[in-house]
Amino acid sequence: MTFKRIPRVGIGGPVGSGKTMLIEQFVPLLSQIGYRIAIISNDVVSKEDADRMRRNLASERGLMPESLVIGLATGGCPHTAVREDPSMNLSVVEDIESAHNQELDLIIIESGGDNITTTFSPALADYFIYIIDVAGGDKYPRKRGLGIENCDLLVINKIDLAPHVGADLKIMERDATLIRKNKPFVFVNCKTGEGIKEVADNIVKNVLFELPPKTTTTKN
Amino acid sequence: MNTRFSNKIDVIDNSNMNQHVDDDDDDDDVTTSLDPLVDEVSMLQLGDSFFPTGMYTTSSGLETLFYDKRIKTKQEIIEFITVCLQYQIGPADCAALSNAYDFAKEENISKIIEIDHILFSMKLIKEIREASIRSGRQFLNCLLSFVPDNTLISLYYNSIKNKAANGIYPVALALASNSLNIKKERACLILLYGFTVSITGAALRLGMIQHIEGQQIIHELKPIMTTVLNNNIKRHFSHLWQFSPSIDLVQMKHERMDSKMFIT
Repeated sequence: MTFKRIPRVGIGGPVGSGKTMLIEQFVPLLSQIGYRIAIISNDVVSKEDADRMRRNLASERGLMPESLVIGLATGGCPHTAVREDPSMNLSVVEDIESAHNQELDLIIIESGGDNITTTFSPALADYFIYIIDVAGGDKYPRKRGLGIENCDLLVINKIDLAPHVGADLKIMERDATLIRKNKPFVFVNCKTGEGIKEVADNIVKNVLFELPPKTTTTKN
Repeated sequence: MNTRFSNKIDVIDNSNMNQHVDDDDDDDDVTTSLDPLVDEVSMLQLGDSFFPTGMYTTSSGLETLFYDKRIKTKQEIIEFITVCLQYQIGPADCAALSNAYDFAKEENISKIIEIDHILFSMKLIKEIREASIRSGRQFLNCLLSFVPDNTLISLYYNSIKNKAANGIYPVALALASNSLNIKKERACLILLYGFTVSITGAALRLGMIQHIEGQQIIHELKPIMTTVLNNNIKRHFSHLWQFSPSIDLVQMKHERMDSKMFIT
């Protein structure tokens, strides 16, 4: 139903590219600033990602209530659930918006692992991050695909693996620049946190428009 | 027919029982557009799986039966859907839709909300209950984008917003069908067909059947759908029922599965 829209970031990418770990890395940086966040995790088969984030971010670190990490089954159709028919995701988003409109700053929607054609419906996500990993080979950016080309921020993960899989980061940088026509991309290592601040900064600048956290505003 | 889910799966003919208060022939008083074919296209639109309701995310427990190896063949899938139609969807959802449709024609919002609550309370499985209201609410959201001026739908939508109604899918479909001049029996068919396709689609994505078998299943279930329709379209809302304890248990088990593709 209609409530004031809370900004939403969609995160898509192939299975194993590091979507969940990316969230686990940048959420603490945003929480440090004071932003309050909810996560919807679209699982293809299991609830493992949602359970892991709930444990790591909510139960152990107390960065959000456990109830604000929500797993959603997608009937084996991960891209449909965020693009053609995002009904179930929208419904969960609306529930969150109606219950937490006053204090929540951001909703993160993690797509189930899928292929390079994944995009998010603009009705569902305001900002779309697509993540690929170096282990897939340095050809990845130039293979194009809607996700790689059209996302607001392309994240290239696992840069530490480049020498082990014969991937040349310079080739990836050149192709990403060319394919994305000056739209941003960032190299990261989700294991060490390298490059993650740049991802968080992008979200603060382009999604949250550098506004202060709602709870801060309320206090003032 | 499969006897694991029900003692008797032959189509129950109880169409003369508990007759609905509105016994009019629907064709007599349904409004039509200047071009009746437009109404037919509207029926195709609402009945199409392309219409965003999220129902592709549900399997009604079929996934559990698949992993437990209790259903393997095409015929067993047909039997499962048949039992669901006859003992859950027909006497509950389909009959609720029919009643809500009649009250929509009377613009009786309080009765529509009453049916919404009755059907909501009859859905025993939490995930199924929630999936139905998520589908119903998103269905209305979409409908209102191209039918913005229907007073009754706006009233119902606002009731949901104010937590006075749930937005359960069959009631949302009833109001939508009425607003688009889709005849009541066809609205019921959209419901029964949509359910059948969602389960058949789940079977396909679970790898239980191939795409052509999916169409064979839908074809074989056509007479079941029409019989279920005829048995329930005149059922009074005070006589809604569902009784499928074996399937209820399967669905409860599915709801608790750690690893699954589908919402129950």
